[in-house]
Amino acid sequence: MNATQGTTFRMLGSRLNDITNELERLRTIGATGKKLNAPSDDPAAIRPVLTTRKQISNVDRYLATMGQSMDKMQATDGYLNNVENIMQRVKEIAINGVNGALNDADAAVLADEVAQIRHQLFDTANGMVDGKHIFAGYLEQTKPFSLNPDPLHNPEDPLYDSTLYDPNNHLTWPVIYNGDENRTELEITPGERIQVNLTGNDLFLGTKNWSQPPYNPPDPAGNPPNGIDPGRFNLFAVLVNTENALRTSTPAIPDPIPGGFDFDPRATALQTQIAAIDGASEQNRRLRSQLGNLTRRVEEATRHQEGVVVDLQQILSRYEDADAIEAFNNIIKQETAFKAALSITGKISRISILDFI
Amino acid sequence: MGLLSALNAGRTSLHTNQKSIEIVGNNIANVNTEGYSRQRAELKQIPSVIFGDFFVGQGVAVSNVRREHDVFITRQLQEKNISFGEENSRSLPMRELERVFNISGENLASEVDRFFDSWQELTTNPSGQVERDIVIQRGQLLGDAFRNTYEEMDLVSGNINNSIVAKIPALNEQLAEVARLNQRIHMIEVSGQTANGARDQRDLLIENLSRELGVKTYSDNRGMLAVQLSGGTPLVHGQEAMTIETVQVGSDVDLRVRMGNSVRNILTREMGGEMRGLFEVRDVFIGSLRTDLDNLAVELTSAVNDVHDNGYGLNDDVQRIFFEDLSGPPPTENASRHIRVHADIAGNAGNLAAGTEHPAAPGDNRNALEIAGLETTYHITGSTDTFDNFYAKMVSSVGIEASRNKIALGGAKDATMQLTNFKDGLVGVSLEQEMIDLIQFQRGFESSAKFLSTIDEMMGAILQLRR
Repeated sequence: MNATQGTTFRMLGSRLNDITNELERLRTIGATGKKLNAPSDDPAAIRPVLTTRKQISNVDRYLATMGQSMDKMQATDGYLNNVENIMQRVKEIAINGVNGALNDADAAVLADEVAQIRHQLFDTANGMVDGKHIFAGYLEQTKPFSLNPDPLHNPEDPLYDSTLYDPNNHLTWPVIYNGDENRTELEITPGERIQVNLTGNDLFLGTKNWSQPPYNPPDPAGNPPNGIDPGRFNLFAVLVNTENALRTSTPAIPDPIPGGFDFDPRATALQTQIAAIDGASEQNRRLRSQLGNLTRRVEEATRHQEGVVVDLQQILSRYEDADAIEAFNNIIKQETAFKAALSITGKISRISILDFI
Repeated sequence: MGLLSALNAGRTSLHTNQKSIEIVGNNIANVNTEGYSRQRAELKQIPSVIFGDFFVGQGVAVSNVRREHDVFITRQLQEKNISFGEENSRSLPMRELERVFNISGENLASEVDRFFDSWQELTTNPSGQVERDIVIQRGQLLGDAFRNTYEEMDLVSGNINNSIVAKIPALNEQLAEVARLNQRIHMIEVSGQTANGARDQRDLLIENLSRELGVKTYSDNRGMLAVQLSGGTPLVHGQEAMTIETVQVGSDVDLRVRMGNSVRNILTREMGGEMRGLFEVRDVFIGSLRTDLDNLAVELTSAVNDVHDNGYGLNDDVQRIFFEDLSGPPPTENASRHIRVHADIAGNAGNLAAGTEHPAAPGDNRNALEIAGLETTYHITGSTDTFDNFYAKMVSSVGIEASRNKIALGGAKDATMQLTNFKDGLVGVSLEQEMIDLIQFQRGFESSAKFLSTIDEMMGAILQLRR
């Protein structure tokens, strides 16, 4: 067997070709900084890469969702703080009403203030964030609370009549709830959903569940009217009752029994109401702290997910990013091989048998 | 033996050496001719005559000009060319498919991600017109992405069809040329000569045909080469060549052989070489990718639809599907081309069912949460793959095939090159060898000339005797 000219040049040509192809590949890696440029570069890496990319995009979404949840929860907390202040003020007024030797006219001023405060609470309960009512459940575009105009439909007296108040029939309550009982949940980590709002019925009306109309009566096929859960409070009713207690008339001259306690019907009524005000404030505080816990959970989850993104990016990088130093080393190595191959090719053509015969 | 016969012997020697040098010259001239085999003069003494008690030689003659040839290596090369051709023709469409199923940031999987992401976004503001519009838009873009992928695959198939059609005239020309060479070789060799050049050419043509069509060959007793497909369908028989035709079947091209008045379809498994590679990528590989893509399209749309039509939009109490229904039965053909957001939804974003309760309250996001969750919880029927994973599997199959092809092509290329080198070593022209032969025959020629001048001197000496 001979090494013919054809063999020599075919080998050299193919070798040069191989080296330039390899050099091309290495240069692509160097230029893009990625070792995974086509599916055939590493078929086994495709699934992890696509999954990781999906997870990164999911985490980005979770972070955005949590950001929005935080905004909403902080705004809600602001409103709850407002409620807290209102209840505080009402309590002060009530205590003032009990202690002071007030005449009916003075007490009426305090009662007017309570009425005023009730409007403030009413506005708070209809509070909006981002154009949506935050205490309306899913019915975020409906104003959740409206004044109960007249349970008796008495055209002569279109005002609310507190004497009809029945804790077990919401139709008699001073304020009507038009929202629903649904709590909005958002997904903040894979599979974990948290509640991001408080519903108006839970917070202001002291009832966890709220059945929707029609009601029985008048509609025999409807739901029974909503009532207050045991041990809980309707904030509006508490304010109305406090106002009524303040308006209770007390005789100008106390009962003249020497050495005995004066019987003061206003003070007695107010004493009852102070307990109710305390309970109502407590209800608000309890829900506020629940919300606070959730806020904390979201903060933690945010920190955790931020860490997760970094981890995921590391994983992704391990699969698809090239080691820059290695890549450039390889390029130099390959270029040296290329130079050698070229030089050999050049020399071959200079040696010939013809020079020797 | 007289001086005259010695002169004659010298003449044959001069002639033979000169002929040999001519052959060396021809070898050198063809050093770069593809398919050329080294030729040798076969020398033979001229039959001796009895001279007294001795046999005395009468000189030398060229009995034949023989080409170096090795059947084993030729066959081997033919076989290797078949597998080289097959891998070689696969590499181009595979590279295209790798581009279609790429793994950069923008592919079908990222579009699926974005679609479900838009649902997740909708959960934070289920009544938002903007968020609703985004979901619908993402749904339509998802359809576009599927359509795009499908059409890109179609394009690859179309390109394969084009290259099949383009190869046929050259193949027919080569088959006809083999038939013509068969005839020529027969005519030359029937008179006892060797048709060296024609045989070299025929070998080269067969090598090409093996690479392109994967033909099998055998020689008959007249020195003619029969060319067949591996299934036995004759392509060249003696001096007669069949023609290969293309037939349009649907959007694809198939091949058939015309033999006289009858035609016969060529099956993929009968072919070899480049043709087989092209047909297999088109029918088997792209075919299964297309099935998978359609499957993914049906699964994804019906999974979303199933959840979506449990919920309610903002406007009324009608339960609707989100995508146009592809699930059948039977499932829509080429489902991946037909993913569209249902007109009821696309025309009115309020109909998007984000909530589960009827009537849906604006803040009700439960159905949207369910749909967003499908991305991670839904498994393609008969597997544990999510949509992403299923797509990743398709891309992996492209990657695996492409990388197998790269390795196999490299191997086949090396093997054919080794064999070609081996064949070259055995039958090719080596300049060193030819130079040495040149010197050898030149010396032979010079010696013969010297011999003749010696005889001439001897004759002169004899002629001088009478002076």
